[in-house]
Amino acid sequence: MSPRRTDIGGRIDRVKTIRFTFDGAPYTGHAGDTLASALLAKGVTLFGRSFKYHRPRGLLTAGVEEPNALVTVLKGEVREPNIPATMVEIHDGLVAISQNRFPSLAWDINAVNQLGGKILSAGFYYKTFMGPAFGPLKGTRFWMFCEHFIRRAAGLGSAGSAKDPARYERMNAFCDVLVVGSGPAGLMAAKAAADQGARVMLADLEPRFGGSANWSDETIDGAPAADWARRIVAQLEGRDNIRLLPRTTVWGYYDNNTLAALERVSDHKEQPGKGEPRHRYWAIRAKSVVLATGAFERPLVFPGNDRPGVMLAHAAERYANEFGVLPGERIALFTNNDSAYRAAVALKKAGAAVVAIADIRPELSPEMRKLAAEAEAEIFAGHAVVATEGGKALSGLKLQRFDMTNGAPIGDARSIHADCLLMSGGWSPTIHLASQAGAKAEWNAARQAFLPPKPTQKWIGAGAFTGSFSTLEALAEGRAAGLAAAGGQSTPSVLPTVEAVPGDPDPAPVFEIRAKGKSFVDFQHDVTAEDVRLAHREGFVSVEHLKRYTTLGMATDQGKSSNVPGLAIMAEALGKPIPEVGTTRFRPPFAPVSIGSLAAERFGDLKPERLTPMHDWHLANGATMYSAGLWYRPMIYGLAGETIEQAYVREAKATRETAGIVDVSTLGKIAVQGPDAAAFLDRVYTNMFSTLAVGKARYGLMLREDGLAFDDGTTWRLGEQDFLMTTTTANAGKVMQHLEYFLDVIWPDLKVHVTSVTDEWAGAAIGGPKAREILAACVTGTSVDNATLPFMGIVRGEISDVPVMICRLSFSGEMAFEVYSGAGHGTHVWEALIEAGRPFGLVTYGLEALGTMRIEKGHVTGAEIDGRTTARDLHLDWMLSKKKPFIGSAMMDREGLIAADRLELVGLVALDNRPLNGGAHIVEEVDEANPHGSIGHITACCYSPALGKHIALALVKDGKARQGTRANVSDPLRNRFGPVEIVSNHFFDPDGSRMHG
Amino acid sequence: MVERQSPLDPEFHVGSHGNFEHGVEIILTETQPGSIVQLAAWPGEEKKLISAIRTVTGLALPDGAGGGLSDGVKSVFGFAPGKFTVADEAEGLAAAFAKVVTPAIGTITDLSHGRTAIRIAGPKAEWVLAKFFAIDFSLPAFPVGAGRSTAHHDVFAQIQRTGADQFDIYVFRSFARSFWKALCHASEEVGYEVQ
Amino acid sequence: MLITCPYCGPRDVIEFTYQGDGNRERPDPASQNFEAWNAYVYDRLNPAGDHNEIWQHSGGCRAHLRVVRNTLTHEILSVAFIRGDHGRGDHTSAARRKAEGKS
Repeated sequence: MSPRRTDIGGRIDRVKTIRFTFDGAPYTGHAGDTLASALLAKGVTLFGRSFKYHRPRGLLTAGVEEPNALVTVLKGEVREPNIPATMVEIHDGLVAISQNRFPSLAWDINAVNQLGGKILSAGFYYKTFMGPAFGPLKGTRFWMFCEHFIRRAAGLGSAGSAKDPARYERMNAFCDVLVVGSGPAGLMAAKAAADQGARVMLADLEPRFGGSANWSDETIDGAPAADWARRIVAQLEGRDNIRLLPRTTVWGYYDNNTLAALERVSDHKEQPGKGEPRHRYWAIRAKSVVLATGAFERPLVFPGNDRPGVMLAHAAERYANEFGVLPGERIALFTNNDSAYRAAVALKKAGAAVVAIADIRPELSPEMRKLAAEAEAEIFAGHAVVATEGGKALSGLKLQRFDMTNGAPIGDARSIHADCLLMSGGWSPTIHLASQAGAKAEWNAARQAFLPPKPTQKWIGAGAFTGSFSTLEALAEGRAAGLAAAGGQSTPSVLPTVEAVPGDPDPAPVFEIRAKGKSFVDFQHDVTAEDVRLAHREGFVSVEHLKRYTTLGMATDQGKSSNVPGLAIMAEALGKPIPEVGTTRFRPPFAPVSIGSLAAERFGDLKPERLTPMHDWHLANGATMYSAGLWYRPMIYGLAGETIEQAYVREAKATRETAGIVDVSTLGKIAVQGPDAAAFLDRVYTNMFSTLAVGKARYGLMLREDGLAFDDGTTWRLGEQDFLMTTTTANAGKVMQHLEYFLDVIWPDLKVHVTSVTDEWAGAAIGGPKAREILAACVTGTSVDNATLPFMGIVRGEISDVPVMICRLSFSGEMAFEVYSGAGHGTHVWEALIEAGRPFGLVTYGLEALGTMRIEKGHVTGAEIDGRTTARDLHLDWMLSKKKPFIGSAMMDREGLIAADRLELVGLVALDNRPLNGGAHIVEEVDEANPHGSIGHITACCYSPALGKHIALALVKDGKARQGTRANVSDPLRNRFGPVEIVSNHFFDPDGSRMHG
Repeated sequence: MVERQSPLDPEFHVGSHGNFEHGVEIILTETQPGSIVQLAAWPGEEKKLISAIRTVTGLALPDGAGGGLSDGVKSVFGFAPGKFTVADEAEGLAAAFAKVVTPAIGTITDLSHGRTAIRIAGPKAEWVLAKFFAIDFSLPAFPVGAGRSTAHHDVFAQIQRTGADQFDIYVFRSFARSFWKALCHASEEVGYEVQ
Repeated sequence: MLITCPYCGPRDVIEFTYQGDGNRERPDPASQNFEAWNAYVYDRLNPAGDHNEIWQHSGGCRAHLRVVRNTLTHEILSVAFIRGDHGRGDHTSAARRKAEGKS
């Protein structure tokens, strides 16, 4: 066993040895150790290099607020930087490395930055990257060149680029009472609420419940506090109305008592269990919350307060009592309050020599003098530490008499030899969650701390969180809070008894000892007391500005230990009391949160996707799939060696020559049912639907309320009160919401129901000169001849024993039919059609050929109905009924929407026989080097096998009038410039003779 | 009769999966009802529709939003004001309702192909479902028989509790495979069996 | 934020879609009053305080709800089905009067 490790006590299991590495060197620790406690036990004091100055840094704390000892943990190729060593539970095989050092932690080349301290002061980035305002380098790029090196030198760990294979999950939870923090207050609250029968959740960011009971050295109900905590936890573990969440940081408090928490499920294991996530993001909706989050101890601000070996007093107490580790052999203390005396006694008991207690206060209570005597420590009342000595580890410190009235050290300095200095600047309640929940914190002059605000949401505070720092108060408040949160009545049962070290909770109002040297306020961002004053001298008066200018409290620790000292120094500089300076509002997250946990199942294989009924057939038959929104659709069915263009040209050509079939199951389909369905459609569409006969379909256009085009599609009348509306694939959801809105909000009197039936039907569109013959060969129960099935007619029949509905309509411009069957029969019908088509040379075609044929026909899609175009722009004004009002009719004739120079739909033919590009602009002047004066842009383009040319659809200013003229396509990003002819958008078969047959 | 193809086929692997060495805590299956029908009443006609449901299925709907019940063969639950989902092992439910639900009462929409019914059962069913849906699955908040409409990202779901630790989830067919894969993935940590 | 749907109970805001200011009044469909149409399509109240809003429970029962919400505190004062609330409620008229500077 290491000489720093005590023989008994704490949460560690001395029998279990764990092997890990830090900066490549092998170490051992025990089960229950953190990386911090295990290394400390081996005498390691140097844990990292500081952000700007690369100063050597050691452990300041033992918990989540640690600003100095940040490490990178490596798991295979994945690296996670900036984790406090105090929060890493060691396990066999753990690999951790230190950060922000080169070439090594002990010999860091950038430590020279300390000498240039004046340059790297507050507002450094703002000043530096402006470049010099005068001198020989003014206006040169020299500073841009320097920036690269400066940024490299300053910083924390670096993120990895390997894909993170870990599993992250989200969990939704509901409870009556969420208790945050499991110290004596939290445990009492959880137990009291659970006893009332409430559904309780108890979360603590530490692996072991108990909070201060794990290290306080007090007794509760006659037992060591840690044992009492174990007993309560054991009672809670047996109940089914409480969920215990260790290793869980509640990091966000949102509206309506919705809280966010991160559970580190398997970080402490060598390997997660099968299917076990690394992190779990808990979204918790709690009826009420008990905040028992405790308090953070504050450092004192004095020169050299960042030297490795200088540590918060309670942190040393924790290391001794909870981990059985002595942070030093000769320990000195420096305090402005009574709580540090507890640490002195604890360390003495654990076997260290406590050589001195420097207390800022000139008068000390008899109880404190008694504790000092117990610790066998020499007391220096009215003294302050003014310097520390040593290199990468503390070797000694200097004391001077301290004048409380003017805050200055006086008299001769006195040296003390010590390898560890504990400091305590008082305590700040951990009010972060309460602050996030709303309302401003209130300054309490006696405690010299911000206390939680009055609740604006349903939470109740308990324990140190409220400024009640004694365990007895914590137990009482915890129980009362738990009862109240569960809606129970206080019962006159007796509270547990507590034997505690006495102490006054109020510190002396001293935060800084002003003496020569760098005194750190924010350890993680290297902000000194002088930086704060410099910001003040440069005119910053608001605390919010101070924070941003100096970056105080903006590091990953979010200023947990530095906020109040920083404010105090700012207030002093301003000559104002602290409450007038105010504090910044805390924002989520309380502690860093893994991005993976937030993304959880929303990426990779688990993101939702929509598949058509024939999906597997497409894959098995050579389709290259294309994602269209959430849908997957065949792009082409390429043959061996074919390019995409060769494939779609072949598919489109074959369709026009014989027949082609395409999966159209993704089209939005909405059942519109009810006695007022026809009247409703008359209001929704620009054209009439009440006149549509049963068994017929009609092409319809919808506008938005503002008069712009919204969506188009065919709607089929299946019965007097029964319509099947189809929408574009992309707009299916939007159209559904549009219809629901009007039925619910605008026309509640209409008796119409709308239901999404997109997934009920499989759709196959079969088109081409042979399409009717193919259908005739496989459809039974109905004829498909021109008389039975005219253009826009609908028949019902069967294909291969499956009922189908066939509508004769065309998107390709060919004689075409859409065959609908129940989705579960989709592949069956599809295969029957393919089989029937085989003798006729039927081909399957994908989106590319579909798009090609629609461009040849000049049909519009979402590329043209882009939210800016009107029906007139798209030459669909023939669909605007004058006999009735419809959605958008009142707004569509506004001045701007009927102006002559609007962009109108046209066709383009490339005159240089080269491909065109979507998004390319159309210009009039031949000025390739300086393209200007756009008159429009291309919306869709293809090589047209029917025309043998590269063609495009475009929206062009006053396009109709320009038909027959020439212009140029300009696409400088893709290096394309060339002449085009502007033509009608109906390139192919403009009179529709092919589809009408 | 031509058999209906399940959208889950290539991802439906019968057997035990995940961390099942310590026992299986989840059972997943597709219930494949012959009929799934959506019924919607006009305002004020809800009682007549409920009575029609009783006539056709023999199931007497309890009062209240989201109320429902199941007899193991037929199931019914409310999912929106005046709207109900009815499922039956047998086909032909839409035709049966067409005889009793007159146009004056409301509408019938056949969704037998359009929705896929996935059953999750076992002691960890609530735990696994809580990974997807932000609703309270505890028994007091979600009693046996009741139905809920909710969504996981873009996947709409109607969920009926058909047992103390059993839920039937109706999702759009096109999303079914994707949702099924996610459900299997989420069940791995507790061990699951596909039946 | 939670919205208590009258049918489904309290649900997370992610299940809902905001459908705009609930104070708008759609002119008679046949009306040619361009000012009224313009106001309906484009004018929105933006109060710092209680606001009458339309939300759809799109990830649930899909009903449209009239939600009175405080835009400063996110407090939700009332939620009701919008279908059938013909009078649009006292709150609406009060908010509109306030916006128009009338008492």
